[in-house]
Amino acid sequence: MSIELSGIRYRYSDAIALAGIDLTIHSGELLALLGPSGCGKTTLLRVIAGLEFPDQGTVRFEGRDLTRVSARKRHVGFVFQHYALFNHLTVFENVAFGLRVRSWRLRPRRAELNRRVVELLELVQLGDLAQRYPAQLSGGQRQRVALARALAVEPEILLLDEPFGALDARVRGDLRRWLRGLHDRIHVTSVFVTHDQEEAFELADRIAVMNQGRIEQLADSQTLYTEPASPFVCRFLGEVNELPPALHARWSDAHDAGAIAFVRPHDLDLQPVTGAGSGVAHIESIRDLGATVRIEASHPALAVPLVAIYERGRFDAAPIRVGDTAFVSARRWVIFRDAARA
Amino acid sequence: MISIRKPSTAMRDPAWMRAILLSVALVFVGLFLVLPLIAVFSYAFEKGLDVYLASLVDADARAAIRLTLITAAISVPANTIFGIAAAWLITRFTFRGKNLLVSLIDLPFAVSPVIAGLIYVLLFGAQGWLGPWLAAHDIKIIFAVPGIVLATTFVTFPFVARELIPLMQAQGSEQEQAALTLGASGFSMFWRVTLPKIGWGLVYGVILCNARAIGEFGAVSVVSGHIRGQTNTMPLHVEILYNEYNRTAAFAVASLLALLALATLVVKQLVGLRMRRAAPEHDVAA
Repeated sequence: MSIELSGIRYRYSDAIALAGIDLTIHSGELLALLGPSGCGKTTLLRVIAGLEFPDQGTVRFEGRDLTRVSARKRHVGFVFQHYALFNHLTVFENVAFGLRVRSWRLRPRRAELNRRVVELLELVQLGDLAQRYPAQLSGGQRQRVALARALAVEPEILLLDEPFGALDARVRGDLRRWLRGLHDRIHVTSVFVTHDQEEAFELADRIAVMNQGRIEQLADSQTLYTEPASPFVCRFLGEVNELPPALHARWSDAHDAGAIAFVRPHDLDLQPVTGAGSGVAHIESIRDLGATVRIEASHPALAVPLVAIYERGRFDAAPIRVGDTAFVSARRWVIFRDAARA
Repeated sequence: MISIRKPSTAMRDPAWMRAILLSVALVFVGLFLVLPLIAVFSYAFEKGLDVYLASLVDADARAAIRLTLITAAISVPANTIFGIAAAWLITRFTFRGKNLLVSLIDLPFAVSPVIAGLIYVLLFGAQGWLGPWLAAHDIKIIFAVPGIVLATTFVTFPFVARELIPLMQAQGSEQEQAALTLGASGFSMFWRVTLPKIGWGLVYGVILCNARAIGEFGAVSVVSGHIRGQTNTMPLHVEILYNEYNRTAAFAVASLLALLALATLVVKQLVGLRMRRAAPEHDVAA
């Protein structure tokens, strides 16, 4: 089921959370809302769920206007950041909740209900924990109970608020790949909120990068990386060197005062030269990270050190030592003309 | 929720200070609480068990007990429903005048019960604002059971709400929102999610409310008219007996109230224990 949002505005008493959002989410897609805290991503998710009503704009599911329809009637699965499990109910009853509260005509019979709940618990690999209470589960298990509970009502849209935010790093990675696999099997239109770009890149088909209540860019991960639409997107998607265009001969056409060239660490080349000259970088530190090598270099024209990341093979082929001087060049870059540092 | 922690060593008072504080507290409790309690029972039984039982099965005493129970049976459920509604309103919604409502809930704690009784006399009494209208329709409120129920309800108004508001504030509404997205109706959400969440807190509030409803003297005294066998509650009956120098009977009825108070304390402790145990560690959102 597709989701069409147009002109969504939402303000809290003291701040604007959403400043005009237009977004279409395709049926069966897995979309990430990515942004720093306070950018409005969770509010947008709650607007889609019907837990908040926007001040302006419309929410449509498959063309049907649901802007003022309560969350109760939207048939949307929602996984809360802190899971919001019912602590007084067992895992089984948590998952069964959505079926039990149906009106009696739509409520499945007991055998059917049992079968569906057991099936869902198998799906999230919690079959043997059905009689436990949420307080007896680990974070990752609770997460999966919350997911099974949301899926029990067979939603056509699944919304997840920071689904991995409260988990430790290892569990997070496992669960992420598991969720991607699950989505590939059940193809429910899914939207999840995250502030972690790695998470968004690994999971999502497309990513909406949000900032201050707006969508800065909506694209797949590769496009975001190679053709960022704004300095914000550039800076938010991981480490980036910000260089004055004067540093590089080929950037001379962009010598405006406010222009900045953005170069990713793995697109930066440092070629060792003998002797000290003007316009060369001085290698300050080299850190071996296993698969990659991180090199930091100071440059007279820059306040912060340059960062280059070499793959193991490239580093071994062209060794650099601390104390060397090197020419700086870039293999790929993006120049924004009016990107003076905020 | 109350968390019990060992005070850090740096905060610990010297031994002599602790000894003094402890003995002051013990002497105080002994003098003002334990001794009177013993006195109540020793006076009640001073003429033997027969006299004690006789003063309890006396027709007027039985009427007083019945009236007290009826009063509690009406005002406690009424305040339970009101308390849940008020706590729900205050913790789930923001609206203009919310702080005023919170203060108003506390009003019965702030004013003297006698004033509370007088308010009803001034409203519904023969000389009061609504007096003539009530008289014309033959409705008796003051010096009758409705007045006693009204006054008791007023005085016991805050107990349930006061207990639930901080509890529901701490719990937040995420579980209710989850229930909503799963398609639960308002009633279903309340019955299956909210009520189990607030359960023990609610029981706690109801116990306190009930204890006060049964023991209330001041407000009821003003509106009751002290008609024996008709508008006398237990506390009023005790006063009348005592004023008639019927000391043994007075203390016999008083001992019932004291027993009730003790039972309330025990139940309250048990419920408090359950509440602390039931408080889930992972409930609070960061």
